Amino acid sequence: MMKLKSKQAITGIAFALPALVGVFVFYLIPYCISLYYGFTLQNEFVGLENFSLLMRSNTFWLSMKNTAVFSLIAIPLAVAVPFLIALFLSTFERFSDFFSSLFLSPLIVPIASVIYVWQILFSDYGIINGILTKCGADPVQFFKGKWAMALIILIFVWKNCAYNIILFSAGLKKMPRDVMEFARLDGANRLQVITKIVLPLLRPTTFFVILLTVISSFKIFREVYLLYGMYPDENVYMIQHFMNNNFANLNYPRLSAASIVLSVVIIAVMLVFFLFERRSSE
Amino acid sequence: MKKRIISILKYLLLIFIVLLFLLPIIYMLANSFMSTEEISEAYTASTEHYLSFHLIPDRFSLEQYYQAFLRRPQFLKLFWNSILITVPVVAIQTLVSSFAAFAFTKFRFPMRDALFFIFIILLILPSWVTMVPNYMMIQRLSLLDTLWSLILPSAFTAFGVCLLRQYMRYIPDETIEAARLDGASAIGILFKIVLPQVKGGIAALMILSFIDSWNMVEQVIVFISDREKYPLSVALSEYAGTDPGIVFACGVIFMIPPLLLYLYHSKEFKNAKV
Repeated sequence: MMKLKSKQAITGIAFALPALVGVFVFYLIPYCISLYYGFTLQNEFVGLENFSLLMRSNTFWLSMKNTAVFSLIAIPLAVAVPFLIALFLSTFERFSDFFSSLFLSPLIVPIASVIYVWQILFSDYGIINGILTKCGADPVQFFKGKWAMALIILIFVWKNCAYNIILFSAGLKKMPRDVMEFARLDGANRLQVITKIVLPLLRPTTFFVILLTVISSFKIFREVYLLYGMYPDENVYMIQHFMNNNFANLNYPRLSAASIVLSVVIIAVMLVFFLFERRSSE
Repeated sequence: MKKRIISILKYLLLIFIVLLFLLPIIYMLANSFMSTEEISEAYTASTEHYLSFHLIPDRFSLEQYYQAFLRRPQFLKLFWNSILITVPVVAIQTLVSSFAAFAFTKFRFPMRDALFFIFIILLILPSWVTMVPNYMMIQRLSLLDTLWSLILPSAFTAFGVCLLRQYMRYIPDETIEAARLDGASAIGILFKIVLPQVKGGIAALMILSFIDSWNMVEQVIVFISDREKYPLSVALSEYAGTDPGIVFACGVIFMIPPLLLYLYHSKEFKNAKV
């Protein structure tokens, strides 16, 4: 019996090994190297010097602020809108399946392919401004100031609705119909059915959707870069811009310090999120 | 009567929502079939008048595709770079994650949960954090400015392991135990019993990881300095100013591979059970 168990263990380790080697070589070990760089300057231990330099950098705080604003608005929207659309789709008897596959197209179509259409739509002399002036309104500079952030949020929600609708629809399909009907017969109104029955039953799906949306919100730099290049309007200057600009001048101490600080922040935020989810599911 | 009106309104709303999602794509598709003159007439930057909504070509033309495919070999080169990056990433990631997810769900070995915890942490770390360690290692392996610098870190992300584990958890241990007692090897169990039952997970993983690498931007502009090695995801937008016509046609060509992969897997992908 003992022998069988250790054989199992060896097979398990062997199967996990390629993934583990990849993760150690490209992520874990070099992360430890960057810890070293974070606390040294020209091979000399400098304590928290690099971190205090980072904290005094205005561009770092600008990128932190913009990323926070973006995440706090875009992520809730990209979860709530697909939920409402999925709820709406679930009222149809047929078609849902066909339409849900149409909804996936923003996810499947590459960013680079549609970015030019966004430019044509929203540039200063673009289609939207043409329509606005025709209606007698003032044209809007969508790529500047506060509108720049709004535009990025719009593109993010447009793109991420896709998969989230599919996930919510799948979750709603599994929902026991009779429970909802009983509640309706008991005099619960539509809103009560949604908040008291649908949402609690959908919790695992919602959790997964939030997680995926958070992960893809980290990649918004792609759209911003393709629209603006390396130096965007200051309202959409994201953390990735800050990092990339420091890569450009190979500032390892600052890059390492930033990478360490950001990893701590992200892990702390996600830990709170996981604990909250565990607590609320009990 | 009232019911009828409500149901008509519902369908109108549905069509409106679908159009909202599809319009940018339809627009690109329609514009790709316009002649170069028509495009440059429509989209030459001007400060005098606004661009107009131009959906239907005056005259159907394949000129832009002809240009992209036959007259400008550099576009095919960029497209080929995208394939050279994405295909290895998807292949390595799917294979490696299948084995690892199987190990983490159905085998017991020392430190298993602690090791898996590393994957979960890695899953949530954004590229702004991980690109720094990636860069340090790529530089030490002298892989900077090669396509491997883009392939290897992306192939070993934690996403595949975490996603497939989520699916494999639903396979009862008894199924695997029974196969084991029948004398099946571990590899045999993985390929003949486990993987066929998590087709949805494999489909989701292949599609999502394909899309992710196909759209790669931030790694390219840091790890690659030779513009000949750029994938289309970065290079395409650079032509928008000078050559808008080509951008539409290339945009359409560029969306075909992920679309094919999606259509091939669409049934499993949509039946996602998470």
